[in-house]
This record gives sequence, C-alpha cells and structure tokens, in this order.
Amino acid sequence: MNTYLRQVWVIVWKDLVLEMRSRERIASMGAFAVLAGVLFNFSIDTTSTRPQDVAAGLIWMTLIFGGLLGVGRTFHLEAQDGALQGVLMSPTPKDALFLAKTAANFVLLYVVSLLVLGVFGLFFGLDLGPNLGWVVLVLGVGALGFVALVTLFAAVSTGTNMGETLLPVLVFPLLVPMVIYGVGTTTRLINGRPFDEVEGNVRMLGAFALAAVAAGAVLFRYVVED
Amino acid sequence: MTDGVSPGADTLGVKDVARGSADNGREIVLEANGLRREYGPVVAVDGVDLTMVEGEFLTVFGPNGAGKSSLLGMLGGGMRPTAGTVRVRGQALSFSEHDWQHRIGMLSHRGFLYGRLTVEENLRFYGTLFGLQDLEERLPARLARVGLAERARFEVRQLSHGMRQRLSLARALLHDPDVVLLDEPYTGLDPSAAGVLRSVLGELRDGRRTVVMVTHNLREGLAMATRLAVQVSGRFAWEGPNDGLGREDFERHYHDVVEGRV
Repeated sequence: MNTYLRQVWVIVWKDLVLEMRSRERIASMGAFAVLAGVLFNFSIDTTSTRPQDVAAGLIWMTLIFGGLLGVGRTFHLEAQDGALQGVLMSPTPKDALFLAKTAANFVLLYVVSLLVLGVFGLFFGLDLGPNLGWVVLVLGVGALGFVALVTLFAAVSTGTNMGETLLPVLVFPLLVPMVIYGVGTTTRLINGRPFDEVEGNVRMLGAFALAAVAAGAVLFRYVVED
Repeated sequence: MTDGVSPGADTLGVKDVARGSADNGREIVLEANGLRREYGPVVAVDGVDLTMVEGEFLTVFGPNGAGKSSLLGMLGGGMRPTAGTVRVRGQALSFSEHDWQHRIGMLSHRGFLYGRLTVEENLRFYGTLFGLQDLEERLPARLARVGLAERARFEVRQLSHGMRQRLSLARALLHDPDVVLLDEPYTGLDPSAAGVLRSVLGELRDGRRTVVMVTHNLREGLAMATRLAVQVSGRFAWEGPNDGLGREDFERHYHDVVEGRV
C-alpha cells in the first residue's frame, strides 16, 4: 500500500474506532431513524394513501435529517483537543483527509440507511421482493453523494457559532438532485417496477455522487486552510 | 526575494527554494520574513523577521494577546500569513505540497490527541500519517522516554493533564523534526511532569534541532534558551542572546520592554 492509501486508511480506521467506542453518532442516527419510522407510521392514513407510494420519500427524508445529525458532527471528533490541526500539520494531502472522512461517514450512514429501510419495511409492510438488492444499491449511491456534500460543508460550519443551524442551510439546496432521483427511483422499485425502468435515474444519482466526491476532494483544502 | 503574498494565494509564502547562508558554519534552518497576520481589523503579528540556525533555541515571551501563538501557527504552517514568507531549510511552506511537514513538530497547549484512542494508537495514527516505516521499533522507545510505556494501552482520556502533555511531546517529536515549535508547554503541569518535559526539551539542544518556544514561564524559558525575544503588539520589541541574565534581572527588563520604557 502506498503512503497516500495508508493515510486514507488510517483516518478511516481512526474515525470508525472512535465511533465504535463512543457510539455517539450511530446511536443518535439510529434512534432518529427508528423514532421517525414510528411517527411516520402513525402519520399516514393507510385507508386513503398507499404506503408504498409515500414510503420512499419518507425513507429519504429520514436519511437526510438523521444523516445530518451524525455526519454533520464528523469534525467534532477532531475539534476536542485540536486534533484537526495536528492532522493538517502532517504530510497528509487534504484530499486524502476528505476522502477518508467521507469513506468513514459513508460506512456509518450506510449502516443507518439499511436500518431505516428495515424499520420502514416493517412499519409500512413493504414487500420489496426481487428489488430489495436494487433499493439497497440506490440507497448506497445516494448516501455516498450525501456524505460527500455534508462532510465538505461540515468542515465549513464546524467552528462557527451557528454551525448546526448553518449546515442544513448550506446543504439542503444542493441535495435537490439527489432527492429527485433517489425518491423517484426508490418509489418505482418499491412498487415492483423493473430496474431497467430506473437505470437512467440510478446513473444520474451515481453521477451526482461522483461529482460531489470529486468537488469535495478539490474544494476541501480551501475550506480547512486557515 | 519577494515577501508579499496575496491572501488566497496557494503558498504560505512565495515559493523560493534558494538556500540560506550559513552562520558560523551552521545551516539556516528557519527563516521568516515580514510575517504579518490580521484578523479583520486586528493585527496579531506585525512584520516579524526571524532567522534561526541549527541548534538555536529561541524563547519568545510576551503579554497575552501579543500574537505569540499566531506567530507559532504561521511558523508551523498551520496558519496562512496575511503577508510574508516562512522557509524551512530554504523551502517555502506551501499548502499544496506535503513534504515540509516532516521537518516541523509542534507542541501546543492543545495536545492534538484523540481521547478515545489509546496512547499507542494515537502515536501509531500520527506515525502513519507521517509515513514512518519503523513505527513498531520507534513507538516503545518514544513512550519509554516520556514515561508512558506502562500506559501504552490506556485511552488518552484516562490520563492526567501532565501525562497527556508528555504524550503530545512524544507525538510532536515522533518524526524527528528539524524544527520544534512549543506553545506554552509548561501550562498546568505539576513539578514531576514539568521535570520530564524539561529533560526531554534539554535533549533537543543537541545542536541539530531548532526550537522556538512561546511561554509566560520565565524560569523555564530562560533555562532552555540560547536566544530570547519579547513580543509586544505583534512585533519583536526586543531580541537578544541569552547571556546568562538572571531571572529577576530579565523580569525587570521584560516589564520595561512591555511597558515601552526600553
């Protein structure tokens, strides 16, 4: 493994170990997902609305709001003892730091998105059948774009007085393409439509995710430089 | 040489790899020219020039708000100057390059440590970021040197402040930097921890390293330094060799400088 990959790997390892030991972010995201599922379950009148028509939107909104709770705090791990400055004063390229933080956040959010899918599947009685794998894939692709954007903007908002308020204001407008393609694709898959019908949407979602990762890798250094 | 650098430029200073001249045969290690740092209307560092050769140990004293930590931040490459340049062994510090960091180690009053990682894991993490190949051999020796070998598997949050400071010192020196920057290293240390720190810092005066320490602690600052400076309102108001001036004499001199009587 070359130095760049070792640097990426050790930051991913560090973030995941810290999360496993503290469980702060995964617990808050997981609890939010379950509670949101319970509340949404009671908020839908199933006599007039088919659950499979609204489930996708609710799943994605739960992921976005829950994800902000956890992923948005990614730089709080570094802030406690000035550790981000220590990392920035190491020879680690800034894009390696961004990719590593994004990868670690992706692992966390993907675990949560599977939990969200399970919770909504249970409460809304969703039968995904052969499309289960495709839904899991679509959630993963969407989660990647989401964590890339939130990781970038969390670096902007952390350390500001209005950080937790500022983050959604910065991120939400940029999430519109992800919501459009993600919700549309997931709704059709939940309703048993074949994957061929949504393949174009998935490609767009993938392009959004790749663009978010690439833009984050390029722009991150300007965000963290003092 | 050009000193000015526009805000937003890629480099911490203008790239110029011209080698510095030697002083009595000793190589110039650290050069700062016209360093200036502004925070909005506030000028924290105002045109500091500094040249240090191998083996020099500079202690910078100064009142709160004099800009000492900002100066260290710029010398360490963690903070972009509003104007001016910093070079380490002739190489300008640049945000887009990643090799000069090997030459700088910084010990701040913040430890740059992760509380939920163990002592050993923290050092292994930073060692990997610095690309150290001999980490497994290096770690036990470094931990033993700062008296933390027995605590290698303790999480950092379980350590006392003094132990954390010693671990931070091991972290700062793990990659054997040429330039060591120390920001108030004695703050909050008990006599025992201060003794360990003093002992390790004494070893840095090996003729090879260049050290800049910022402190309010006159006794420790005078004990280590080969050069002294007093920073007031962002400038070096006084600078000179440490020629054995006693603590009380220097304290009088310090107050004269800070209050503008010298």
